[in-house]
Amino acid sequence: MTALLEVNHLTKQFGKDSKALTDVSFSVQEGEFVSIIGPSGAGKSTLLRCLNRMIDATGGEIRFQDLHVMDLKKKELKQVRTKIGMIFQHYNLVNRLSVIENTLHGILGTKSTLAGVIGYYSKEEKQQAAQILNVLGLNEMIYKRADQLSGGQKQRVGIARALIQNPRMLLCDEPIASLDPNSAKVIMDYLKKVTATMGITVIVNLHQVDVAIKYSDRIIGINKGQVVYNGSAKGLTSEDIQRIYGSEAEDLIFDIGGIHAG
Amino acid sequence: MEVKEQLNNVTAPADHLLGKRMPAKPLNKAAIVTRLTLFILAALTVYAFYSFDYKELDFMDALLGTFANLKTIFLEPHLKHFSFGHALYQVMVTLGLAFLTTLFGAIIAVLFGLLAAENLSSKRVSIVIKSMVAFIRAVPTVLWVLIFAVAAGLGSTAAVIGMTFHSIGYLIKAYSESFEELDRGVIEALQASGANWWQIVFQAVIPSSITYMISWTFLRFEINFAVAVAMGAAAGAGGIGFDMFMASSFYLDMREIGAITYFILAVAITLEVFAARIKRKLNTA
Repeated sequence: MTALLEVNHLTKQFGKDSKALTDVSFSVQEGEFVSIIGPSGAGKSTLLRCLNRMIDATGGEIRFQDLHVMDLKKKELKQVRTKIGMIFQHYNLVNRLSVIENTLHGILGTKSTLAGVIGYYSKEEKQQAAQILNVLGLNEMIYKRADQLSGGQKQRVGIARALIQNPRMLLCDEPIASLDPNSAKVIMDYLKKVTATMGITVIVNLHQVDVAIKYSDRIIGINKGQVVYNGSAKGLTSEDIQRIYGSEAEDLIFDIGGIHAG
Repeated sequence: MEVKEQLNNVTAPADHLLGKRMPAKPLNKAAIVTRLTLFILAALTVYAFYSFDYKELDFMDALLGTFANLKTIFLEPHLKHFSFGHALYQVMVTLGLAFLTTLFGAIIAVLFGLLAAENLSSKRVSIVIKSMVAFIRAVPTVLWVLIFAVAAGLGSTAAVIGMTFHSIGYLIKAYSESFEELDRGVIEALQASGANWWQIVFQAVIPSSITYMISWTFLRFEINFAVAVAMGAAAGAGGIGFDMFMASSFYLDMREIGAITYFILAVAITLEVFAARIKRKLNTA
């Protein structure tokens, strides 16, 4: 196994003195399922967005497939972004367009400007989109408008949009934070299943520690912009959780023994 | 017990207000200024009516005369100096003027609207365009037509340029504000997949705001129709407005004015119905 992504001494500063990330270093292996957990405002979303340069980091180094992401020019950056899918908490679909149109948005980056502007997609591309939607259990919704779907269905369209990119890596920014427990489980199951069969590396920001432990190979814990835990999901102890979430961790509403037992 | 104590604490500060007169609106500086303004306006109105030069005009007679004129205009309309076909043709000319200026305005405004939307362009470009647009809109359409008449001569050319100019200003503001309504996340999602600016604009921004854009464009079309009627009279741009000008100032034919008014009214209502139908279709599609 080789490292697909390597992050060295990454820092991000907003304004003069508010540090969002301080000296963050970790690496992600090919095909790994990594969760990033931490309290709100710890810098999880910032970290994720630094990886595909939706936010420009202040210092450090990011290597994706041996490319120095932070030195890339505009055009090369777009090329790298086509290999990194992204999934969002609020789905970020175009509500007025159909499910398949939203799915096909994922390959805009690989198309010419004109073809993208007029929305021209080849037969193969449409078939691929339909196939992915079929895998995600949305085959009856293909021509429905995105705003007619439920939250869980919208998120599955979000996953389809990321998968059609044929990505090497998926970045998921709190994909289940706006979903009820049932839909959340469905989404996490799909995410795990599809990425395992397609061999896609996943980095996911999560609020639910139990979900993170259940699904991921490795967990990275972040507090105040610093990595405070980086290890296997199984090895996460209640002391670690306390370190990640601070002193109130004792009052957290789950029981770690129960999680590992389940 | 504890709860009761807390309740007592909550009600305590209000006690000192009980028993006193408690005005719903406190009398502060703003209230005083408002009242003073209203009072001065009222006094000026009374003074104006008192000091008018009525020229021995009997108010009742004048009122009745006006009603008689209105009755002639609206209840006895006829066409004398031109035929029904000619009137229809002239209405089409006026509609054409409105359509052309709205079309030109809309096409140019889409481009500048994108540049003026803060989420699609840089803050500096947006501010520059928005302030220029504010200036264009501050000057009335009629004035723009007269300004361009200096170069193009009074007539249809000046009317088209002037009306287009003001339409651009109006629509840039309307479009850019509808573009700014779009969720930041949607743009982010497409950027993250490597899509470029034009693709994002045509695949996400315009599909999301197309209903707003169409309703604003139709509103401007209606405004331009009204302006085009006025331009026919004031700037010699032709169309039904010019016939109305001739009927009123040249032939002094009130019945013909009535007929023309009905023509314009019919067109305006048709436009309104048409716009409503298109919007409904777009919303359900």
